[in-house]
Amino acid sequence: MAEPALEVQALEVRYGAVPALRGATLSIEAGEIVGLVGPNGAGKSTLLHAVMGALPIAGGSVRFEGRSLAGVPTERIVRQGLALVPEGRHIFPDLTVDENLRLGLVGRGSTDGISDDLERVRTLFPVVHDFRDRQAGLLSGGQQQQLAIARALVSKPRLLLLDEPSLGLAPAVVETVWNTLSEIRSTGVTIMLVEQRAQITVGFADRTYVLGDGRVKMQMTPQDADDTERMVEAYFGS
Amino acid sequence: MSRLRAIQTLLASIGLLLVVALIGSGTSAATQQNFITALISAVIVYGLYVFIGNSGVISFGQISFVAIGAFSAGLFTIPTQPKHFVLMGLWSFIADHTVSNFASYLIAAGLGAVVALIVGLPLMRLSGIAAGIATFAVLEITYNLFLQWTKIGPGPTTLSLVPTSVGVWQAFIGAGVAAIVAFLYQSSRRGRLLRASREDPAASQAIGVNVTRERWLAFTLSGGLCGLGGALLVHQLGSITVDQVYLELTFLTLAMLVIGGSASLWGATVGALGISLLDSWLSAAENTVHVVFFSVTLPNGASDLILGVIMAAMLLFRPQGVTGGREFSLAFVNRLRSRRTRAGTESSRTAASGQPETTLEQDMQPTEGVESRAER
Amino acid sequence: MNLGQTIIDGLALGALYALVAVGLALVFGVLRLINFAQGELITAGAYALSLTSNWPVIAQIALCFVVCVGLSVAIERIAFRPLRGAAPATTLVATFAVAFALEAVWLIAFGANGKPADPLSTLNTIAIRGSLNLRWITIVEIVAGIVLLGGTALILNRTSIGLQMRAAATDFRTARLLGVRTNLVISFAFVIAGVMAAVVALLYTVQTPLVTQTFGLDITIIALVGAVVGGLDRLWTATAGGFAIGFATSVLGDVLPASQEKFLTAFVFLLVILLLLLRPGGLFTGFGRTTVERV
Repeated sequence: MAEPALEVQALEVRYGAVPALRGATLSIEAGEIVGLVGPNGAGKSTLLHAVMGALPIAGGSVRFEGRSLAGVPTERIVRQGLALVPEGRHIFPDLTVDENLRLGLVGRGSTDGISDDLERVRTLFPVVHDFRDRQAGLLSGGQQQQLAIARALVSKPRLLLLDEPSLGLAPAVVETVWNTLSEIRSTGVTIMLVEQRAQITVGFADRTYVLGDGRVKMQMTPQDADDTERMVEAYFGS
Repeated sequence: MSRLRAIQTLLASIGLLLVVALIGSGTSAATQQNFITALISAVIVYGLYVFIGNSGVISFGQISFVAIGAFSAGLFTIPTQPKHFVLMGLWSFIADHTVSNFASYLIAAGLGAVVALIVGLPLMRLSGIAAGIATFAVLEITYNLFLQWTKIGPGPTTLSLVPTSVGVWQAFIGAGVAAIVAFLYQSSRRGRLLRASREDPAASQAIGVNVTRERWLAFTLSGGLCGLGGALLVHQLGSITVDQVYLELTFLTLAMLVIGGSASLWGATVGALGISLLDSWLSAAENTVHVVFFSVTLPNGASDLILGVIMAAMLLFRPQGVTGGREFSLAFVNRLRSRRTRAGTESSRTAASGQPETTLEQDMQPTEGVESRAER
Repeated sequence: MNLGQTIIDGLALGALYALVAVGLALVFGVLRLINFAQGELITAGAYALSLTSNWPVIAQIALCFVVCVGLSVAIERIAFRPLRGAAPATTLVATFAVAFALEAVWLIAFGANGKPADPLSTLNTIAIRGSLNLRWITIVEIVAGIVLLGGTALILNRTSIGLQMRAAATDFRTARLLGVRTNLVISFAFVIAGVMAAVVALLYTVQTPLVTQTFGLDITIIALVGAVVGGLDRLWTATAGGFAIGFATSVLGDVLPASQEKFLTAFVFLLVILLLLLRPGGLFTGFGRTTVERV
């Protein structure tokens, strides 16, 4: 039986004495797009950063394709095939678009096929090609988001984590971004999508976990997207 | 915090000063100097503490005010006749006036405060690294002026013939006064506002605290205490050079504050007395001291090396200082004692990983830095 | 006095200070740490030169580089690595302490009287005579400055490790998320700082052939002040600041009448305070962008 791409078991993370995750459990199968929604402060970003090794784990376990990630430094986790597109995009504004993209190459597990992958990403996101010599800080929000995803993709991840990719983008741009996510999935990349906009996410992802108070409260499928009552319960019920 | 609990730290500090004074008064005249030095160091470190400890802003410049205090007190107490003879370039006002030692303390403290007031007016807007460099610039300027401008000082020669009057008890009184001033300030409304701004400058600014003004007050007070410290120093030694109130003293007193714990009066007391006595002992050891059965001779510079290493190690493993930046309180002592017996395993684990208790908070700090950097 | 001469000498001293400033700024960029101990690298390199005065010059120079780079990396490992993420004031005092401790080591090991070191003393001869008297060392300092600064720029702009360093300097957390190896990038910054220190040690012994325990400290403090005034945030602003303070010190020293030259330090530091007040984020920063004052 194949291992799940990502398995998070009873994960606990604390900021000082303040608990941010109090035993979150979820798992993602290879090839899925899985959503993670929840109100502000539910611990969504914390979970992603803990998976990436950027926050210390206080309890529980994180496994990627069966291997434990606890205590593994971020730079090694990236090389194992995980990539995070952080909230707020965090492109490097002073570097050129192309330099930003090339930074993604740093985290590749292998050096084979770099030019092919760069080519593929450039077709998927024409922006990174058209504006390659421009300072990344001069791009629009949507273009920066595309650059951030492109940058994550050239590290050749098997699991792509996205933290609120639609934040601050115009609805039309959001649609483009999500269409590309489907395309990325079709190339065999598993996707975990953290979002505030619950309804759209639930409708888009194969499955969506609802996070609240540092725990996974329920799981939803696209059929639930129009069930307003269930959505409200997920967010505000106890 | 209740007033009663707060005052414990002042009583404990003065108690410790008293212990040092009592031990010192029972020793030989030569050894006694080390105890006097320790008490005077406490005055200067209290001066540093009032600004650095309460504001959280680093300053490399406070020794300027010690220099100002030392030279003003020295120059105004040398008898007029030899003064005219030895320091011929001196401004006639300084040359013609001589006051009592007691009055010279007031002049030194006052002048230190006034200069700090003037210097602080523009400087207090700065924080972080800019503040560190700007205050360092103040030190360099004072040093340069005292070294070269013979109208206001001895220049590159030694200022001597200063009447010595500081014994153990005068030094104790000076240190006690400085401790009381520092305590009164930190428990005052203004002092508490500044301490709040140390924890979170942005938030206190947002609720209407004028951080610049509060820092300015502390800086001025600090200048006064440092001036007093300088005056005590010159009346202890009888002679002084500009180099004695420059980089080395800056390092030494900063080390005392940091090692003791810069966030509390108790930390300043412990650091100043402990490190000063250690430093005296090590310096003596550079000439040979006797330790029970054998004698030790340390090479020149060993005391600085040991202090530097202790200070670096302290910053690495216990950045809050020996006292953890806490004030002295009996309740805390009791709690510590009970915790030690109760949770031996926990403390051994912290010790094994070599990390202070604040690891997580520290881990989060760069995150915030990154965030604010990304915003601009 | 000759204006051209004044400017050339200023350029030479400025170049030397700029090299120190580059080392400081590179380390600051990746670690947010002001490395007072950088000066001790220079001192160590100079002592290495003085202890090997009977070696062939090439071997002396090689040893100088090994000592500076080795010590630079070692200090990072032992003292600064555990301090990552601490408040700027804490790290400032800590590197101050490391510098102070190392200075005591020099005093213990080599005494207070200083040791002669002059492997390149032949550079003190006049290369071009005329209305301008150009000594070889002046030319070498300017050329070394240009070559090393240009080389650093090339590494930063044209290599993967340079790109990673630039990324880490703006946003270390995101850089790590992309797989940038923290320790590699930081060590590399310290290696370059060590190389710069070695070059400065070599060139500085030509004009100051007596190595004492504060040999490198003074020049580093001045360069640091310049770098902060220029803007420690960015490599080029810090370098320009370092250069400017070296240039200004040299030119002012030439221009000021002797009676006032003794107040040169006070002058320069007064200027430093003024500039810090006017532009706390750095003299050269903020063209077309606003800087957030870092606390």
